[in-house]
Amino acid sequence: MNPKLFDVKVAQVKQLTPRVREYLLCRTSAAALPPWTAGAHIALHLDVPARGLVIRHYALIGGDGLRDDPPNTYRIAVQCEEHGFGSHLIHENLTVGSSLRIGPPVNSFALDRNSEQVLLLAGGIGVTPLIAMARSLLRRNRSFQMIYSGRSIEQMAYSQTLQDMCGSNIRFHCSDSQGRLDIKALFAQLDQATQVYVCGSTAFTKAAIQASQELGWAVGRLRSEAFISSVLPGDTSFQVLLQKSKLEIKVRSDQSLLDALSEVPVPVFWDCRKGECGLCVTKVLAYDGELLHRDRYLTDEDKRQGSSMCLCVSRTSGQRLVLDL
Amino acid sequence: MSEKQKMNSIVSPIPIDTENPGNFELYGFADHTTPLILDCWYVAALTTEVTREVISKRLLGTDVALYRTLSGKPVAVRNRCPHRSFPLSKGRLEGDVLVCGYHGMAFNPSGQCVRMPALPIVPTHADVRSFPLVEMGPLLWIWLGHPDRADTSLIPDTHWLADSNWKTVNGFFSIKADYVSMHENLLDQTHFPFLHPGAIGTPEYARSKLDARMVGDSVVIDRALLNSPPPGVYAMPTGLADKPVDRFSEACFVSPALHRAFARIVDNNDPSGKPRTYRFNIAHIFTPETQQSMHYWWFCSRDFKHDDAAIDEHLTTASAKAYKEDVEALEWIMETIMKDAQPQFDLHFAPDKPGLMMRQSLYRLAKAEHGTAV
Repeated sequence: MNPKLFDVKVAQVKQLTPRVREYLLCRTSAAALPPWTAGAHIALHLDVPARGLVIRHYALIGGDGLRDDPPNTYRIAVQCEEHGFGSHLIHENLTVGSSLRIGPPVNSFALDRNSEQVLLLAGGIGVTPLIAMARSLLRRNRSFQMIYSGRSIEQMAYSQTLQDMCGSNIRFHCSDSQGRLDIKALFAQLDQATQVYVCGSTAFTKAAIQASQELGWAVGRLRSEAFISSVLPGDTSFQVLLQKSKLEIKVRSDQSLLDALSEVPVPVFWDCRKGECGLCVTKVLAYDGELLHRDRYLTDEDKRQGSSMCLCVSRTSGQRLVLDL
Repeated sequence: MSEKQKMNSIVSPIPIDTENPGNFELYGFADHTTPLILDCWYVAALTTEVTREVISKRLLGTDVALYRTLSGKPVAVRNRCPHRSFPLSKGRLEGDVLVCGYHGMAFNPSGQCVRMPALPIVPTHADVRSFPLVEMGPLLWIWLGHPDRADTSLIPDTHWLADSNWKTVNGFFSIKADYVSMHENLLDQTHFPFLHPGAIGTPEYARSKLDARMVGDSVVIDRALLNSPPPGVYAMPTGLADKPVDRFSEACFVSPALHRAFARIVDNNDPSGKPRTYRFNIAHIFTPETQQSMHYWWFCSRDFKHDDAAIDEHLTTASAKAYKEDVEALEWIMETIMKDAQPQFDLHFAPDKPGLMMRQSLYRLAKAEHGTAV
């Protein structure tokens, strides 16, 4: 269940924008960290007193501009989210010299080496895996365009780095001054052969998927990854009764059900933590409010029935949930 | 990689620290314990070996499955299902899709998972690694390092293998010895008269003047021996046995994957009245299987008498005999190193300089790739 973990130390922290910090994580032994490819992410395993294990995922950036990091180093960027307990925790606790453990790189957003033409579409901090992709494309002399959308240039991490790397291949869109990016209009003018990679907030990624569907694109032409965020703005806290363990716990508005269970700790199987593998699916015995299913694993019928849920990404809008745990 | 190497390597009385390859000296010489160089093009197989039957090979410690799509494009993916490590080569092809024989997980030629029958969805993070592969003449070159650095212009030149002006015979060995010692063997011409008496070395040749130099990461040796009869391997094809000729050779450690030797025999007393040049191009192609075993393909090409089957037969037999003598010697050496627990620090002599240059070059490449200094 628990993949092999690696001990790392924070080697450098850099404030990139008011909300984004970049962290360099170096392996404590002299050995290299596992190799990875553009689009990959790692899990940070943070052991927090009184909170148990907190796991957060961040995309690997790979280097400074076109320069690669040494093989014992991973580079990530963390944006402090209003509702994100994990990102606050990282900003507050990780300083140069801090030790932590990380999981091996996982790629669910792989760049196809054979794509002839590529559009990279970044929304906010979703830019991070796309920096690694841009570097890969530049290095291999592939034709690509990049569009980076954010509120204002001051709030867009790596804007200068990307400008230097990509030159005329990149365009910045600032929604504060230019309004919302019209993704459908952008997609409509693309060449048929262009493969699109999108990474941004759930809303941004959804808008891109919707635009591609409205334009009748073939499945697979758009590849996307939303931030793996188990908590969304507007989520509320609720009580959970664990029937078998005879325990009652509280899930705060800024944590997932799985995080709250590991705080106790109540042992639960899990692997992907993004609602795909189905390992953390648990029987729901009762609930009030509405079950907010955010996984891809359960079928629509399962979700309508409401008799099971994915602990890693799903929750309830109500006050109370009874689980068969 | 390290886990795999541990499993596959010959058990050494002195454990090899593959978990901590970060400790490199300033100037070192590569040997059978040096981490393998992944950022390099290696030959995965002859193009004829890869068909619609999935095959597997261990290349630089990684198990690779090889097959062709319906349109004939060669594909290389890791021979290990990301779910439960089942070797994918034991599965089957469904069109262009490789299906694991354990739970039916299926992957397209890019390595992307397209089906996981036990799940209602296709998981997005379940791809199998695919490797860049390039077909060039009779060779299929693979890149096992970081795919972004797989620049096809770095594939070493072996164009004569697909050139109709040349006639080639070839052979293959699977060797239980390290590729470093094989490279050293080919840069070391002083062993010829002893390990291969009569065939490729004459005592005059062993003592002839040589010029060794480094060109970038490669090592080149030039040698000229004037007015002396050719060795057995060249005497028969040229028909110049016992006739004094000028012999020029250039041996080159081109990359971890290739040693190339160009030989020219010049007969200054050709019946035509003009000097006649006979050329031999020899390619020794190495792909480490593990740190202490390797795949070895050899190609002997000539630019004359293409249709003479007796020459083909002679060159095949004589080359295979000489190379087999090298293979046996290196396997005996490897066995000695592995079984003898008493430490030894091998002596070096002046003629070892080209080999040491090559070993330093390999060490530097390994350090750049595996060392962790910023």
